Amino acid sequence: MSDAFLSIKDVNKTFGSVHAVDGVSLDIHENEFFALLGASGSGKTTLLRMLAGFEDLSGGDVVLEGASIAALPPNRRPVNLMFQSYALFPHMTVAQNIAYGLEMDRLPRAEITSRVAEILEVIQLGHLAKRKPDQLSGGQKQRVALARALVKRPKVLLLDEPLGALDKKLRSEMQLELKRLQHEFGITFIVVTHDQEEALVMADRIAIMRDGGLLQVGTPQDIYEAPETRFAADFIGVMNFLPVTAGDQGFVARDGSVILADRVNGTGGAIAAVRPERLVLGDRGQNTLRGTVTNTAYHGLDLLLHITTRLSDTPVIARMTAEMADHLRPEMGQEITLSWSAKDTHIFPA
Amino acid sequence: MPLAESGPPMADRNTFRLMLLILGVVFAFLYIPISVLVGLSFNEGGLPTAWTGFSTKWYGALLENDDILKAAGNTLIVAVFSTLLSTILGTLLAVGVEIRRRNGKWLETVIFAPMIIPDIVLAIALLSMFSLMGVKMGLHTIIVSHVVFNLAFVCAVVRARLKSFDWSIVEASADLGGSTLNTLRRVVIPVLMPAIIAGALLAFTLSVDEFIIAFFTAGAGRSSITLPMQIFAMIRFGVTPEINALATLVMSVSVVALALSQRLNKGGLPGQ
Repeated sequence: MSDAFLSIKDVNKTFGSVHAVDGVSLDIHENEFFALLGASGSGKTTLLRMLAGFEDLSGGDVVLEGASIAALPPNRRPVNLMFQSYALFPHMTVAQNIAYGLEMDRLPRAEITSRVAEILEVIQLGHLAKRKPDQLSGGQKQRVALARALVKRPKVLLLDEPLGALDKKLRSEMQLELKRLQHEFGITFIVVTHDQEEALVMADRIAIMRDGGLLQVGTPQDIYEAPETRFAADFIGVMNFLPVTAGDQGFVARDGSVILADRVNGTGGAIAAVRPERLVLGDRGQNTLRGTVTNTAYHGLDLLLHITTRLSDTPVIARMTAEMADHLRPEMGQEITLSWSAKDTHIFPA
Repeated sequence: MPLAESGPPMADRNTFRLMLLILGVVFAFLYIPISVLVGLSFNEGGLPTAWTGFSTKWYGALLENDDILKAAGNTLIVAVFSTLLSTILGTLLAVGVEIRRRNGKWLETVIFAPMIIPDIVLAIALLSMFSLMGVKMGLHTIIVSHVVFNLAFVCAVVRARLKSFDWSIVEASADLGGSTLNTLRRVVIPVLMPAIIAGALLAFTLSVDEFIIAFFTAGAGRSSITLPMQIFAMIRFGVTPEINALATLVMSVSVVALALSQRLNKGGLPGQ
C-alpha cells in the first residue's frame, strides 16, 4: 500500500458506453491543495463526485489513510463537498445551514454553537447568521457553503468550481482566501476547475484532465514551463505554435531556418512552441523570427503584439511589459525582429 | 386606461374591449347562479320568488337540525382522515416518482388516472371491490375511497413543486452526514411544505364536497351519510332556504381552502 494520504487507484467510470473517467491513478498528499483542471466533459467533476460518494466506481479503488472508502455512502465518508451551486438549504438560516452537519454527527449542543460561531468569525459573516440564503449575495453564499463544509473538519474538502459563480474581482480575492483557509485548517483541498489561471494561483499541484484521463500532473511551474503535450501547452496560458519538419539538421521552420529546442517531447516533432513572454525584441537569442505587427492588444499590465510571420498561419503573439511598450511604441505595420532561446522552446509531435 | 396598455401589443383598444366583454359574460355565467344561491340563503321569507328582507335565521335553523349536524360531523371525519392519509402517501409517492422518473412515463399515467377517470366509474369500481371483498361499508370505506383520488391530486401538486426542486440540497445533506430519513425529515419535507399544505387543502376541499363516490361507498342506512348526501336527500322535497344556507357554508369552506392552497402553491392548478 502506498504511503499517500489519498490514493486514487486505476479508477474508472462508465455511463453506458461512455468512459467518463478512464483509468485514473493519482496520489494526493496530506494538506495539499490539489486542482483537477480540465474543460467540460473531461471527467473532472465525475471524478470529484466519485470521491464524495455520489457516483459508484465502475472499477478501481479510493484509499484514504490506508483504508478503502470506495464502498462507503456519502454520509459515512470523512470527506465533504462544496457544491458548485452551493446547495444551501433554503429554509434554514446561515447558522442553521452551518450547524446541520454537526447535528448529523450528534455533537453536543454547546460544541455545535461554539463551532458555528467560530467559523462564522473566520468567514466574517457573524452579522448575517440569522439570514436565509436568498437574502445573501453570491459571494456571501459561497462563503457559507464553504463554512458549512469546513466546519465538519473533513479529512479532505472537495470543491466543485468553487469560484465559478463569482465576478472576476471577487474571484481573485477568494482565490487567496481559499488558500489562507486551507493553511489555517490544515485540510487537504481538491478543487475542480476549468479556469487555468485559478488552478495556477491556488494549487500546490495540478492534474490536467482530458477525455476522462490524466494528461499531466505537476506543480503549476511544471505544468506551465514544461508541458508534456501540445494540448497541455495550449490549454495553460498562451502559447505560440510554429510548424516544423524534423530533418537531419534539426527542426526546420517554414522559412527554412533551423529552430533550436531543448525541450523535445516524444518523437517525430512536428510543431515548435514558445510562450509570448519568452520572445525578446531584436536579434539576441538562438532562434529568430521576422514579421509585421498586425495588431496590438493593450491589457494595462502588458501589451500583446500580434505579429504576422512566414513561420505560421496564425500571428505570433509577443508580450511586452508596459514599460517596454512605452519605450518602443510599436506601430501597426512595423517590421520587427524577435528572438528566443533554445531552453524556452518546446517540440511536440503532430 | 392602464389596463389596455398591459394587454397584448397587437390588440388595439376595441379588440381589448371586446375581450373584456366576453370575459364578463363568462364570469356572469359562472357566478350568477352561485350569487343567487348565496343571496337566497339570507332571504327572510324563504321563497325564491320574493326578497322579504335580510336574515340569518336559516343558518340558525341548520344548527337545530340533528341530521345535518350528524352529516357535517361525518363529512369532517372523512375529510380529515382522507386528507391526512392522502397527504402522507401522495407526498412520498411524488418524491419517489421524481427520483425514479427515468423509468418512464407509464408510472405517471397510472398515478394520475384517478384524476381523470369519471367519478361514477370510480364509485362503481370501489363499490364492486368492497362488495367482492365482503367489507362492511361505512365512513372507513368512504375515507379509503377518497384517498384513492386525493392521492393523485396531492401527488400532482407536490410534483409541480418538485419540478423546480434543487436536488443538490439532498446530496448536500447526505454529504454533511445526513441519513436518508434525516434528509427527508429535515431537508426535503420542510422545503416542500408549502406544496404539501396546498395539496392537503385541495384534498380537504375535494373530500368535503364529493358526492358520488361517498354515495356509493357509504353503505346502507343513515349512519355514515355525509353533507352532500344529506343535501341530496333534502332536495328531493324541494329546495329549502336551509339547503341554500348549507350549500353556502360548504362552498365557503371549499373556497377558503382552495384560496389558501393557491396562495401557498403558486404553481397553478394541479396536473399542469
